[in-house]
Amino acid sequence: MSFTAHDLRYHAEENFPQLYAYLQRYARRFSGTANADTYELDLVVEHVVEQLVRLGVIGGGDRLPLTAIDSLSEAQFMAFLQRSVHNKFIDLWRKRHLAVSNMSELESPEGAEGEDNPLSDVIKPVWGAPPFATPEEITLALASQQELRNLLKHCILALRAAPRQLQAVLQEIDEFDCAELLRSVLDELHLALPPLEEPLDHLSQHKDHAHRKLRHCLQQQSTNLTVTIALRLTEYGVHDAATGTFEVSIDMLAQDDLSADEVRQGLSGLVAEGLVDWHGEQTVRLSAAQRKRLSRYYRDE
Amino acid sequence: MQNDTPPGTFHTDDTSRKLARWLQQIMAQPQREQEPPPASPREEPLSHLAIPPGEYHPRFYRQLPDFIMALLRHEPQAVSRYAPLLYHLVGCPVCHAAYLDLYDALRAALAVDESQLHTVPLPAGPNVPSARQLAQLCQLLIMQAEAVLKLARHERRDDSALARALLQLAIKTGARINQATLRAEALQDLVRVATGFQEPETPPEPPALYTYAPTLAEAGGARHGKTMRKAASPHPAGPSHEYPAIPLQDRSFTGTITQQGDILILHLHALDSSLRGRPVTISVPLGSLIEPIQWLGGNPRAIRSTVAVDEQGTLTVPLGHTALRLDNPGDRPLLEVTFMRVEIHPA
Repeated sequence: MSFTAHDLRYHAEENFPQLYAYLQRYARRFSGTANADTYELDLVVEHVVEQLVRLGVIGGGDRLPLTAIDSLSEAQFMAFLQRSVHNKFIDLWRKRHLAVSNMSELESPEGAEGEDNPLSDVIKPVWGAPPFATPEEITLALASQQELRNLLKHCILALRAAPRQLQAVLQEIDEFDCAELLRSVLDELHLALPPLEEPLDHLSQHKDHAHRKLRHCLQQQSTNLTVTIALRLTEYGVHDAATGTFEVSIDMLAQDDLSADEVRQGLSGLVAEGLVDWHGEQTVRLSAAQRKRLSRYYRDE
Repeated sequence: MQNDTPPGTFHTDDTSRKLARWLQQIMAQPQREQEPPPASPREEPLSHLAIPPGEYHPRFYRQLPDFIMALLRHEPQAVSRYAPLLYHLVGCPVCHAAYLDLYDALRAALAVDESQLHTVPLPAGPNVPSARQLAQLCQLLIMQAEAVLKLARHERRDDSALARALLQLAIKTGARINQATLRAEALQDLVRVATGFQEPETPPEPPALYTYAPTLAEAGGARHGKTMRKAASPHPAGPSHEYPAIPLQDRSFTGTITQQGDILILHLHALDSSLRGRPVTISVPLGSLIEPIQWLGGNPRAIRSTVAVDEQGTLTVPLGHTALRLDNPGDRPLLEVTFMRVEIHPA
């Protein structure tokens, strides 16, 4: 008898015994060489179960969308569980190791630096390091990709409604020597010179508020969609010589990676910002002026 | 717009590095901005959780498997499609740790040779999770329901069906715990979470005059499955009957839930003089979570008593019909959980 993510999603109660038994058995086997105690065994099993609940695999039913985990075959799901147990143990031991080290009570056990040390898995993963392994790597990726940089610019421009917060952010960009971004934002705002000469009262407070708004904006799916759709409008719009407008269909905007609903959501965001006139039609029409504004707003730099 | 390089591989220059440094500063979430854990008197038992309360971000956490799969399959638009998640990961160490963990596990899963299917051993024979594991699973499901509701409120969506399903699963899981004290501990947040959200059409209830809860079992579960004698309180089933009951208490006021056939009956004693000669409204806040009970009037949060409180302050009133049996050890825990709170309001 075996089970899959599907079984847990739709028949959780019936499959709990199998799930717990499987995890316990694998945890016991994996921890065998490391003398894990019962508490640690239970904790690891509980952490894997917690992860399944948090992901919606347990208890999600039809009410949460399926995820990639639901598409795993039986063997793949078992491998996923095994690796999860393995990772939770590593995590637990690493924390224990740190706790002991912090108390200066650690004496390296025999073989601690050798192949038997499960912690060495953290340092030498079998397949190499994953992408985005550190926050630094992620920010570098975000800063390097044009579309993601446009997202940042879009969110900075949204601070226009709070001029002092915008000014605080512009000062900060200047301090960090991000000249290109600063120039691009100032161009959009039609500001010839950075308004940085005058000291800003309560600078740190304005900066805090601005950061909070930027964080919120950057993490919003709708903001991302708005930027993506704006870019696609400028790229895929076909010129109609008779009317002088540029036309692009919802399907064209969706490409392979967005749904029609997502496209509509993004278009609504652009309508709200006064950048596009659209009333739910299947084809979006842009005037030359609108297209120019959009392409300047989100142009490649 | 598309990037031909594998996700996670980027051309970087000095401009990007400067911008990245600034971004990291923006996205580093100050401590005070993180959500405080929900008010709960049980800090200690929750220490087993991998994700502390208040640090679970469902909207982003649930995107992780799909994002990772897109990366593993080298989908060119993965990074731009999941940009908000990436921005979140910069500032959230909990979600980032989960990302690394899941990435590794999903990569291992995809590397599996399907022919190994039958070499993965599963334990043979019956296996039962320990009572402690079930208790922790209950707590987890209740917390998950709370997180779902909190997010739904924040995003102005109605996720009460999902929360209800999680709470129902918690109740059914809790019903498998034989020790009444452990079960009560596992489910102690159930009432708070279940009553914390109202159905959209349900008006808020006025404060209750009495709030009864089952009397806790003594050590060893001595009162579990307690059988009451007629002498303890009158029972409509007739004289000399021994009958199973759920004893209830609010301060010094007592009551019982008994069963006659498929009818569940509430008995209350020594109710306040202001209620005598008047009907009352009974609310069973967890009643709507248990499907096998047909409540009189249809709404377990507003059951109007069919009779008035008598001159001695006693009330005996039917609550609803059910195929569950108080004297059935399999059904009883479910009924005990249902009556974890019984409120009395003036009609």
